[in-house]
Amino acid sequence: MIEVSALKKKYKEATVLDIPALSIPKSECFGLVGNNGAGKTTFFRIILDLVRATEGHVFIDGEDVGQSENWKSKVGAFLDEHMLLSYLTPDEYFDALRKIYRLSKEDLSLHLERFRDLFNDEILGKKKYIRDLSKGNLKKVGIAAAMFGNPEAVLLDEPFENLDPSSQVRLKKLILQEKELNLVTFLISSHDLNHVMEICDRIVLLEKGVIIKDLQEKSSMAGELYAYFNVT
Amino acid sequence: MIRTFVHLEFLKRSRSTSFARSLAIGVFLGFMALLLLCYLLLIGIGMKYIIEKVFSPESTAIFLNSYLVYFFLVEVIYRYFVQQLPVFSLESFLHLPIPKSGIIHYLLISSFISPLTIVPLLLFGPFAYLEIMPNYGGLASVVWLGSVLLTSWSIHWFMLWFKQRFEDSFIVIVVIFGVILFGSGSSYFGWFDIGAFFEPVFTFALEHAVPVVLLAVVAVCSYFLCFAFYRQNAYLEDIGDEDPYHTGAASLGFLSKFGMPGEMANLEWKLILRHKKSRTYLTLCLFFLLYGLIFYINPAYTSDEGFSYLFIFVGMFISGIFMLQYGQLFLSWNSASFDFFLHQRRGLEALVKGKYLLFAGISVICFLLSIPYAYFGWDILWIHLATFLFNMGITIHLVIFLALWKPKPMDLNKGAIFNYEGIGIAQFLMIIPMFAAPYAVFLPVAYFMGDYEGLIALGVVGLIGMIAYPKLSAISVQRVHNNKYEISSSFRQEL
Repeated sequence: MIEVSALKKKYKEATVLDIPALSIPKSECFGLVGNNGAGKTTFFRIILDLVRATEGHVFIDGEDVGQSENWKSKVGAFLDEHMLLSYLTPDEYFDALRKIYRLSKEDLSLHLERFRDLFNDEILGKKKYIRDLSKGNLKKVGIAAAMFGNPEAVLLDEPFENLDPSSQVRLKKLILQEKELNLVTFLISSHDLNHVMEICDRIVLLEKGVIIKDLQEKSSMAGELYAYFNVT
Repeated sequence: MIRTFVHLEFLKRSRSTSFARSLAIGVFLGFMALLLLCYLLLIGIGMKYIIEKVFSPESTAIFLNSYLVYFFLVEVIYRYFVQQLPVFSLESFLHLPIPKSGIIHYLLISSFISPLTIVPLLLFGPFAYLEIMPNYGGLASVVWLGSVLLTSWSIHWFMLWFKQRFEDSFIVIVVIFGVILFGSGSSYFGWFDIGAFFEPVFTFALEHAVPVVLLAVVAVCSYFLCFAFYRQNAYLEDIGDEDPYHTGAASLGFLSKFGMPGEMANLEWKLILRHKKSRTYLTLCLFFLLYGLIFYINPAYTSDEGFSYLFIFVGMFISGIFMLQYGQLFLSWNSASFDFFLHQRRGLEALVKGKYLLFAGISVICFLLSIPYAYFGWDILWIHLATFLFNMGITIHLVIFLALWKPKPMDLNKGAIFNYEGIGIAQFLMIIPMFAAPYAVFLPVAYFMGDYEGLIALGVVGLIGMIAYPKLSAISVQRVHNNKYEISSSFRQEL
């Protein structure tokens, strides 16, 4: 699904990201962990072609993200609130997305139906602009927007942050369900080790822009991650 | 797609926290624009008769053709300052399956819907109809008008590209100033007549359709030059130029002698150097230092006795441009970190006083740099001194007082590309009362007592303002204090 080759991002002399090769197969749940400033968000931004890579390429289904744009309809993402139109209400925002993705009203209500639990009646039908929502609710809107139009891959930056415990559980359920039913590939960065270990098949550990661990064995993940982050 | 964009843009405008203010300004500006366009139309209609009466050349059309190039030079300059790209939140759309080229086309074409686009039509349309049509035929008038319009529209695209490409670099100042000197100086000093040089192009359009075709090609090319540039740079980060000011930004050590306000001025100085937007204002200072040349060497303004009253205006600009420009967005510069100042003990007071310090310091530097203008006459030095004192004592307080009227948030960290937040005609509105002020002092005194007494009055009023600094600055600090909750909440909301 996603192929990375010889990817480098430099700001002047400092290299902030250096990934020689990485391959993420379809319907994998890919977890990205690392300390602050490890380059997680930068990596996501480069995958989405929001920031130019200094060297190397990212391919989505064989398409170079910097060269064409067809991949955009296959990939959904929510990194931060700048990806939303904060001056709209959530309903209006979803409707605007519906027009951009050329979906019917039925498609939209089917889509939003999946988020009924997560939204917990706090998002839809309210006369509140997105900019006035709490951080948790803002995140929920972003996640629902990222999964718009049945994407094949979804990138989420810190999806569990700011969510209340029951929403965190609901989100996990939703992600697993999407993965099972629609074979969606998830790329998730998080600081919450328990959540990522629970849902991800594979966890990559970034340190100063370099992949230092690529854990694929569920059984040994916990030990290695706890050892690295010094938590017990 | 376009309909969606237009609809979203409308919602964004109408739901902005500053909608009421934007609307009031919009109505006022719209009215002013309409008035100006009407004047232009009147000039356009009268142009034929004015040229015939005043200059009585052999052929009115050819006479006008030889001066058209000056119109286009002026157009380059006013487009540079007034023309803007609509603010568009690129990052909300980049990750969606919309072709980037579609976004850029929308952006560029919406920049074209502007009163500036029809200025040449209003000015030269009536002329084409009244003068060229009877003498050269209907086709010729269409071709001629088409050539003029296409030239103007090519300038539109070219300036959009130019402004963004060389934004904030020294080249812009050099080129724009070169254009001014070139336009005003070349025929004044009699080097050569650029008007006569370009005249055949438009005269040719009276007889043949070739120029209009060529100019259409130029207009299309300039559109695509612009398009290609914006398309390539439609990223969240800036264009990959290195930022020489980033690490090298020296702190102004001497400022720390002024205590907490000094520290704040120091912080502000770093803020200025490290953001493209604020640096532009600083370079504007340099540019306006040269501004005097346009007036002081112009024979229309120099006379044997006394001086032109217009020079006061020039003097105000030379030492006051930084506080006028930068000061208009007074607190907006700190909108991202306003809570930080709010959180500090006596932080707001230090912030406001720090800005006073910075404005005063830069004003002093500008004044010192302008001393060589004395070459054009001692009068100019006295004018500069009087306006400098007036700026330090009165303008500074006026700017800050007016700027505290509902400050708007502004995102400095946004990439400078596509970001024209806060820059536009609107901020020029505030200049009106500020320029009325020195004349309100100067004119009555000059009328009853004499020009030099008028200057002395300006200086004295300025000095009084400087002596009253503690009282006057306290008013501004108090105003920030009283509105601090409103200001900080409005800053948080839109960022």
